[in-house]
Amino acid sequence: MSNLVLETENLEKVYTIGRRKINALSDVNLRVNKGDFVAIMGPSGSGKTTLLNLLGCLDRPTNGKVILDDIDVTRVPEKALWKFRKHKIGFIFQTFNLLPYLSAIENVELPMEGTKKSKSEKRKRAHELLEIVGLSARKEHKPPRLSAGEQQRVAIARALANNPTILLADEPTGNLDMKTSFEIVRLLSKLNLTQGTTIVMVTHDSNVASRAGRILFLSDGKLLNREKKGMHLLKGDLTCPHCHKPIQPDHTFCPRCGKKIE
Amino acid sequence: MGVLTRAVRNVSRRKMRTFLVIIALSLSMAIMISIPAGIMANQKAAQSIIENYNNTITSMQEEINKTSTLIEISASSRRGMFFGTPSGMPFPGFGQEEAFINATVVDEISTIEGVKDIVPFLEVSSEETTEDTMSTPRGSFTISRPVYTITGVCLKSTLIDNYSILPTNVIDGRNLIEGDSGVIGISLNLSDYYSVYVGDKLKVYGETFKVVGIYNSTARTVYMNITDAQRITNNIGNVTRLDVYAQGISYVNSIADVIEAAYPELYVTTYEDRLANLERTQAMYETTLENAESTISQTQAVAFQEILIAIVATSLIVLFMMLYTVRERTKEIGILKAIGFSNWNVMIQFILEGILLSAMAGGVGALIGIVGAPVISSLLLPSVNPFSAQQPGFPRQNINFGTALSQSVTVTPDLQTLLLAFGVFLLLGALGSLYPAWRAARTSPMEALRYE
Repeated sequence: MSNLVLETENLEKVYTIGRRKINALSDVNLRVNKGDFVAIMGPSGSGKTTLLNLLGCLDRPTNGKVILDDIDVTRVPEKALWKFRKHKIGFIFQTFNLLPYLSAIENVELPMEGTKKSKSEKRKRAHELLEIVGLSARKEHKPPRLSAGEQQRVAIARALANNPTILLADEPTGNLDMKTSFEIVRLLSKLNLTQGTTIVMVTHDSNVASRAGRILFLSDGKLLNREKKGMHLLKGDLTCPHCHKPIQPDHTFCPRCGKKIE
Repeated sequence: MGVLTRAVRNVSRRKMRTFLVIIALSLSMAIMISIPAGIMANQKAAQSIIENYNNTITSMQEEINKTSTLIEISASSRRGMFFGTPSGMPFPGFGQEEAFINATVVDEISTIEGVKDIVPFLEVSSEETTEDTMSTPRGSFTISRPVYTITGVCLKSTLIDNYSILPTNVIDGRNLIEGDSGVIGISLNLSDYYSVYVGDKLKVYGETFKVVGIYNSTARTVYMNITDAQRITNNIGNVTRLDVYAQGISYVNSIADVIEAAYPELYVTTYEDRLANLERTQAMYETTLENAESTISQTQAVAFQEILIAIVATSLIVLFMMLYTVRERTKEIGILKAIGFSNWNVMIQFILEGILLSAMAGGVGALIGIVGAPVISSLLLPSVNPFSAQQPGFPRQNINFGTALSQSVTVTPDLQTLLLAFGVFLLLGALGSLYPAWRAARTSPMEALRYE
């Protein structure tokens, strides 16, 4: 059984502005396996967001294929793409993009609308996700009353709502200070390690990228033929929620305090 | 978190805009329920007038048929026209001095061949006058006229039993009978005017009379023994009208001819004259009704245009409001689509918001309409009551079209109109938001997310 969840073949995106043609992406071949935490680095204008939009079914490529869970989404009609966005993809934005008039828990419930889950199941799932991102105490707060880091945590919980195949994060720390950025990346790492969530994150920040398992480089719309291994989880990144001592990802009980780790 | 809850939150978080839109839409709703209510009230009034007219004509016809042997003789022209003409007056004595016939004429007429009975009447206006406002097609004006009319009747039982010379619709007390003196029967209207009831006393021409009966009539009249009437009005030996009954219909014309030849100053009216009068009256009222129907048709045409304007205005208000909302919330649409909302989900969201706004405005508009329908319909329709101009009345039969016509028309929207208008309003809300919702649905999520 293939471990591949996302693959691109000769992906190309050309924007036409008047008579000018701009190659935003050309010949991008990317393979993401289940459980990967991939960071795509590159300077501004290198095509990072364009790539993520194509992977997230928000845009159509000019040429090439995007194969998600063995389905070539570039051949799926526009009006049916919402199913992939809803069930296969979780999107995290730089600017969080929460609905300001909904509470944190309502924002997390939003992608579950139209699914077969009952009202109580949706609420329960949203509560669980907010607990995972450490925001269960602030679930009734609306985004304007949450800090930037808290808003991004809510956005991460929302992205996980329908248990997607892959999480796509577009500069998730771009609007955050250094300390909060680290917390968010640590949260993503934790999700990758503990929940097995496959993550593709684009960033221009090397410190943030270094926390991923694989680091790819994009320059002028082309994926460079070099890949770095990231540090992934640093020592002490995973801590026991009870005694805050370091733990390993496979621990179900804390070796220090002996309490169960959820 | 359902789509309805989100719609409610979105509508309520822009309070001032929602308030202004609701006010604008509710006025449309108020117009949509007030105008049909006004039209229906007009139609009801028209129906009532037509029924009243038909009843009047029928009763006049019956009376004419019953009194085929009656020859009316009066000292002034108006008595002969008592069925009403455009120049007829609602009260005897109004704008005209009474003219009298000497009682000796009675003896002379009784000798004419074929005369069976002669019933004398004395009809005199009260001394007391009152100010009344009359509405006419040319406007309202105030006139001074007698408070009531006195009708002196010859109270012989042979006459009372055989001819309808006294009012028949006594509602309290009794009618006048032979031998009555110092007593009167008064109309209900007069009873209400003076607050005088059976057993009470009323001063007429300085003399006190006891009220023995009250009969139903919208006119203000007093019936008494003719002798009493002649005495108190200082008209001993005078009458104002004679009802001459022939032994058979074949005598009517010959009697009328003799009287006209002998007394050219008197006005003689026979069955044929009354029939001609009735036909004239019918023709006049048919013209009036035709005019009224024409007014109603014009009113309905105006109403149709106004309702159409209200419908178009409602649709446009919803359309532009929702277009603005969609533009304003482009980024939100992008977010919803990025997290997996289908085009249909997005469309439903905006259509529901349009319907919700319409429903709120519809509720407010219904309240405004229920309370303000009379004012709104009178402002927007050419005339709520096309019959408001008073028409001449018919004192003899106690039928006063003027009263019936001037009755205020109650303009109240019924439940059916309210529900129908509310349904139309919701539909307009949905239709008005259809295009904006469609635009929202086909927005590219990537472009929408870039929108600031």
